[in-house]
Amino acid sequence: MSPERVRESVPTDRSPIIRFDHASFGFPGLIALNDITLSIYDGEFIGVIGPNGSGKTTLCRAVLGLLPPVEGHLHIFDCACSELRCHHRAQIGYLPQKGVVDRNFPVTVLETVMMGRYGALGLLKRPGKKDRHIAMEALAQVSMEPHKDTALGHLSGGQQQRVFIARALAQQPKVLILDEPTTGLDITMQHNVIELVQHLHDELKLTVLLITHDINMIRSRVDRLVLLKTKLYAAGPPNEVLKPEILHQVYGKELVITEKDLVIVEDYHHHH
Amino acid sequence: MLDLLAYDFMQRSLLAAAMVGGLCSVIGVFVVLRGLAFVGAGTSHAAFAGVALGYLIGWPPLLLAILFGLATVWITGWVEERGRMKLDVSIGILYTTTMALGILFIGLMKTYNAEVYGYLFGSVLSVTPEELRIIGTLSVLVLGLLLLFAKELYFIAFDQEMAEASGIPARQMFFLLLTLVALTVVVSLKTVGAILVFAMILIPASTAYQLTHSLTTLTLYSAAIGITTSVFGVLVSAIWDIPSGPAIVLLATAIFFIAVLLSPKRVRRTGVAHSHEASS
Repeated sequence: MSPERVRESVPTDRSPIIRFDHASFGFPGLIALNDITLSIYDGEFIGVIGPNGSGKTTLCRAVLGLLPPVEGHLHIFDCACSELRCHHRAQIGYLPQKGVVDRNFPVTVLETVMMGRYGALGLLKRPGKKDRHIAMEALAQVSMEPHKDTALGHLSGGQQQRVFIARALAQQPKVLILDEPTTGLDITMQHNVIELVQHLHDELKLTVLLITHDINMIRSRVDRLVLLKTKLYAAGPPNEVLKPEILHQVYGKELVITEKDLVIVEDYHHHH
Repeated sequence: MLDLLAYDFMQRSLLAAAMVGGLCSVIGVFVVLRGLAFVGAGTSHAAFAGVALGYLIGWPPLLLAILFGLATVWITGWVEERGRMKLDVSIGILYTTTMALGILFIGLMKTYNAEVYGYLFGSVLSVTPEELRIIGTLSVLVLGLLLLFAKELYFIAFDQEMAEASGIPARQMFFLLLTLVALTVVVSLKTVGAILVFAMILIPASTAYQLTHSLTTLTLYSAAIGITTSVFGVLVSAIWDIPSGPAIVLLATAIFFIAVLLSPKRVRRTGVAHSHEASS
């Protein structure tokens, strides 16, 4: 993949599938994200960046329909967030932050991926051959087929991330949301996971929202970057967002910009 | 021993024990996985307070047990959802409050009532045909609902938020699970008693947990262990004339420790993890 991949600017001929309109999230008196206006279009690859506690995960939970705005509006698939039904949610695949899910849960890889079918199937319907087939295809997409009967807890961190991505894919989603998918992985594995996400975006024409603190890893791959720090600082093609004056505003002294124009966020700690 | 099986009361007790053992061990899988173990304990004490009140005011004890049990789990679920209080704190308070109420109700009774103590410690050998019918009906109801919503309940036990995000009505399913826990506790009161029902829910599922990594297998193992220990517990109890509740629970505990010792997980964990790290 060439780093100088041709990027489209924001397409105007398509209607957005996710639309924030002056939306604020959190609790009255404790706003995590303030006054967000942002449209996400079908097929976009979007990187969501920002310092710790900047509201990245909040944005993610909002798009999942788990967190209605306290002010303003959020429309997902042309539905107000509060009216989002289960079958809408099933169209959004989600990889939660590491540590959220108990990875020693007694479940096999295939059982985990099959859970991706449950929401799409609806209540009272049993998963059948077709669902198993979809789950196996999802496993093939992340190259984890040979491990289908392995216990989830027996896999490495990178393999587990692949399985969780397969679980999201088994929903046959239109949108894929990944919350810091590379956290806690070694550098090779991080690249593997990002490569996989890129591949899925290209291959399956998925709309991808990738939350990360590693700007370098994704800057050459995404169509647009969304920079957050309790509000929306910038949204646009990476070269427009990654400007020293904008970044210093958000990251302050944590940021070092080298001669090669690489952006390094120093002193990054996990606060989970 | 075969003579014993000829008695009506013995057949009833074995049937009751098998049903309760199966029911508790299957719901136990979801309780253990969803981390609701303490909720089970709280509910059983609340249900006992209901039984005591029933005897005190002359209402059907099982009906009040159901009401008390449901009130407890729903308050717990509501508190957890609101995030107002940690689950163990809210249950701890309800647990002790309902236990205090139970003791208060017993204290208010003018005469000593042996039947109430039967609910506290379990007396499966004195199960009446009518009680057996109630146990049977509620068992079918609870198991039926578990089966009907198994995939959703597994998913919320795995991760409630992920389940909700992928289109499962997760909140409703969580309250369904809590309701089924309450009903299970009430069904089991008479057999194993309020104090030990918790063990019947927890131990078979925890034993099975030692033996497998598959959800389906886990459930089947748990049910097999629950039914077997309950039935043998009753037989042991009848043959040696010891209380049935402790007989069942101690038998289950013995199997639990054997499973821990023999657990393939402990042997395999280190070996397999390495080979996977290497291959990835």
